[in-house]
Amino acid sequence: MGLLPFRGEESRTQRARDKKGNTTHMSKRLSISRKHLLLLGLTAILLLVMACAPDAKQSTFGTSGPVAEKQLLLFNVLLWVMVAVFILVEGVLLYAVIKFRRRPGQTELPPQTHGHTALEITWTIIPTILILGLGIWSTITLFELDQPPAGADTLEVTAVGHQWWWEFEYPDADGNGKRITTANELRIPVDKAIRINLRSDDIIHSFWVPKLAGKVDVVPTRENYMWFQADETGIFYGQCAEFCGTAHAQMRFLVQVLPQEDYLAWAEGFGEAPVLSAQAQAGQTVFNGTGGCVVCHTANGSDSDAVVAGRVQGFMTSDTGIAPGPNLTDLATRVRFGAGIVDLNRQNLRQWLRDPETVKPGNYMSERAAIYQTADGRASLSESDISSLLEYLLSLK
Amino acid sequence: MATLTDVIDRPTSQSGLWSWITTVDHKRIGVLYGVTAFIFLLLGGVEAGVIRLQLAVPDNTLVDPDTFNQMFTMHGTTMIFLVIMPLSASFFNFVIPLAIGARDVAFPRLNAFSYWVFLFGGLLLNASFLTNQAPDAGWFSYANLTEKPFSANQGLDYWALGLQVLGVSSLAAAFNFVVTIVNLRAPGMSLMRMPLFVWMTLVTSILLVLAFPVITVGLIELTFDRNFGTNFFVPEGGGDPILWQHLFWVFGHPEVYILILPAMGIVSEVLPTFSRKPLFGYPVVVFSGVVIGIMGWAVWSHHMFTVGLGPVAVSVFMITTMLIAVPTGVKIFNWIGTLWGGQIDLKTAMLFALGFVALFIVGGLSGVSHAVAPSDNQQQDTYYIVAHIHYVLFGGALFGIFAGVYYWFPKVTGKLLHEGLGKLHFWLYFIGMNVTFFPMHYLGLNGMPRRIYTYASEFGWDGLNLLASLGYLVLFVGTLLFIVNLMISLRKEPDAGHDPWDAPGLEWKIASPPPVYNFAKIPQVEGLDQYWIEKRRAEAEGHPITEPEALVDPSTIHMPSPSYWPLVTAIGVLILAAGMLVDTGWDYIRFPIPFIGGLISFIGIVAWANEPPAKEHAGGDHHPEAAHGGGHLAVAAVAEHPGGGATHSVRLLCSNCNNQLSSNFRFCPYCGGAVEDPAEPHHQEG
Repeated sequence: MGLLPFRGEESRTQRARDKKGNTTHMSKRLSISRKHLLLLGLTAILLLVMACAPDAKQSTFGTSGPVAEKQLLLFNVLLWVMVAVFILVEGVLLYAVIKFRRRPGQTELPPQTHGHTALEITWTIIPTILILGLGIWSTITLFELDQPPAGADTLEVTAVGHQWWWEFEYPDADGNGKRITTANELRIPVDKAIRINLRSDDIIHSFWVPKLAGKVDVVPTRENYMWFQADETGIFYGQCAEFCGTAHAQMRFLVQVLPQEDYLAWAEGFGEAPVLSAQAQAGQTVFNGTGGCVVCHTANGSDSDAVVAGRVQGFMTSDTGIAPGPNLTDLATRVRFGAGIVDLNRQNLRQWLRDPETVKPGNYMSERAAIYQTADGRASLSESDISSLLEYLLSLK
Repeated sequence: MATLTDVIDRPTSQSGLWSWITTVDHKRIGVLYGVTAFIFLLLGGVEAGVIRLQLAVPDNTLVDPDTFNQMFTMHGTTMIFLVIMPLSASFFNFVIPLAIGARDVAFPRLNAFSYWVFLFGGLLLNASFLTNQAPDAGWFSYANLTEKPFSANQGLDYWALGLQVLGVSSLAAAFNFVVTIVNLRAPGMSLMRMPLFVWMTLVTSILLVLAFPVITVGLIELTFDRNFGTNFFVPEGGGDPILWQHLFWVFGHPEVYILILPAMGIVSEVLPTFSRKPLFGYPVVVFSGVVIGIMGWAVWSHHMFTVGLGPVAVSVFMITTMLIAVPTGVKIFNWIGTLWGGQIDLKTAMLFALGFVALFIVGGLSGVSHAVAPSDNQQQDTYYIVAHIHYVLFGGALFGIFAGVYYWFPKVTGKLLHEGLGKLHFWLYFIGMNVTFFPMHYLGLNGMPRRIYTYASEFGWDGLNLLASLGYLVLFVGTLLFIVNLMISLRKEPDAGHDPWDAPGLEWKIASPPPVYNFAKIPQVEGLDQYWIEKRRAEAEGHPITEPEALVDPSTIHMPSPSYWPLVTAIGVLILAAGMLVDTGWDYIRFPIPFIGGLISFIGIVAWANEPPAKEHAGGDHHPEAAHGGGHLAVAAVAEHPGGGATHSVRLLCSNCNNQLSSNFRFCPYCGGAVEDPAEPHHQEG
């Protein structure tokens, strides 16, 4: 599919042009293949368009909201300029190679031209002008997209990158100062500017939801931010874009864009005490006791800063069996777990509790948590404990 | 050290293994570089194969994530530092002295040292596989992933130390070629008469000299962070991981031009030869190369558009990056201008050169699109960038290098590579390259980040990934075919003659393979494309040149003697670096082994500096009458050491203005006037 479409295109126009000035037997041969070339050209264009797959979940085409749309507009214009320059320059190159091929019996030297000043100045100045125009437009877009529009009603969220999952903190989720901490699923209202403050407690990650906005790196020592706005409801897919170690490929997340009233209902109802069956209560005991889950995970609201700092500290000093783990409050309302990689259902979650390494190689839960320090890496909990734990986790809603 | 060097004579082997180990001949060193780098190319290709196999289908479990991360790290590091740079160095070594009409490089022993250090650096880097600790943080190894808490094994120590060793090699070679090109050109070869490949080598060497110290600083800081508890890149310790990115890319972007400019130089030799026309707009092509070399320093932050530098800094780097497209585009137009109106002979070398131009256009255009920061925020760190880098480094640099291989192979060996196999090789590479890398543009635009060891089927990346993996197979077959071609061609009788392509450069004037002394008589240069000038004149006068310059008795020409000391010094450097991997854990002497390496290097350097000339040259049995070329300088005096052995600071006097000159000048820099023949052959010692 690659370069071929372009080449088909250009050889078609090129040979057609060639035909005019050449001998009849050449044009006859070409007219036969012309139909094929036309077909090839059309297929090429079709493939070109199809390959851009705006429906693909993480495509940078088929965007939503002002930020990604402005970025895409710039790219699209650029793309067609590139295609035009490509066809022109490759066309001239191909033409020169065909036209000036050495023919048998050529003994005389070709004219030994050394240059052509006017021509060379022209082909220096034209690209310079093109590029400066592009540069000015890009600079304007760059400054435009830096901040949300002045006076816009903005929801603020802090996204924290961890090896290898995302934490989302809402300092004021409902407009009444409600603090929410959740993980791997960002819920936002539609048609509202979202300002994302980016923080990392370990290494560099990059926050990227292609359909909503280009990426911005999450850098320890730096208070980076970005903003976007979704124009439609639905699920958007995001992924860490800066290589961050073993499970970088599986550091994904979802953005659920909700109608404004649904969002508000979610924010207000978040973290209400779950209803626990007897088995779930047993599971809670495992969670807080033998399972040791509570060392890294919080399941009932936000963590205090001291707890967060303690986990980060434990993570950095290694061999402590501690690492920051995703906040599990209202876990059962999520679509996926494991940083956006598997659907949240009984079967998958059971597998995860038994042996997380088989679901997400390299994760710190299998590496650090005491219950997984077994010969085969499987949890040292009994099947009934796992079932209770599962029941408990699935009641968190 | 005088006693030591008195005891150990200089080696004299002319053939066999020892002659290769002790050689200081730029042609042999060029071959060593080429063969070594080609083996690393195969290794890097195998690593690429693992990557493509793993990504051929979604949710693949062929290799585990850590192995995959090692593969792409070592693939990138190998291809850049152990393949493209040394392959370029191989051409610098073999071609530059011939192209400027010199007998060797300015510092032949330093040249041997560069090679050995390169070899050892490559081995050290790859030794990490033996201890199952290959580096796994990517070829640009962003801090602070590279710090101990996140990369506990020694992989990154191998990486940092290996690159440090390779840096020594690159710096030594770069200094050598700057001096060689500035000082050792044949009389009459003014700067604007230098072949374009020489020009690009000069620019590349200057870039290397300036760029490597920057990465050296970064690597030292990384090594210290990891082993001595410093905090250069550790946020908790007040360090800044972004500092690494600046250091890396201030080196890394000029490095991009270090990789591509030599290939541009090669292409600028091949296109005119096979078009039978001089390079179109030579001064502009030279100038644009120099401008690229200068502007290359002002664009590094375009690798960091998503880091959060703020719109002011980003817009500056955006504009500078866009502007660098202008001199690059100008080169392409001038190459097409060279073809225009010529008589194009599609030999394999020419096909690769044309492939370079065609593919570099794609890489150049996608490069412009990266410059546009707002849209680059979508493409940064995706397969779109992977596609771009492979269009410029595979389609660009490597195609240029293969053009050079097919072009100069007959000069190196006296034998032509098989044209039919060569053309098949080209087409497999051209098709395979596009099938592998063009789909990656789409993958990136469809949201596939780079450096992921697996992907889910839900994203719709399956088909294009499989296609890319199939493309790899085509490239694999192409490479095998090239090896077959090498084998077949090396076994046949010499059939190339001295000038199979009717080429313009001085290197084609002499026999193939060239005699050890290169030119029996140092050529006098009258203009650009000197050998064309000579051939056309001879043709016009009715006696066309059909024979190379006549051979003379090599013993009549003083050439630098072989030496052990470059190798010894290089071994010391290796031990110094590798010793850093052995941490004894003792309180005071945690790293004892580097001291041993340092001592060996010290001994090597001192012995090197005090080495006597080889026996047969020490006694004054010179034959100066055969050695002189056009405009040598008179050697006024050769001082004798009290301990025996001539010093190498030969004092020269210009016979015209009587100024005292250093030994490396071929013609007087003060007056440029006529000079008489040397009383003593020219010493070239490194």
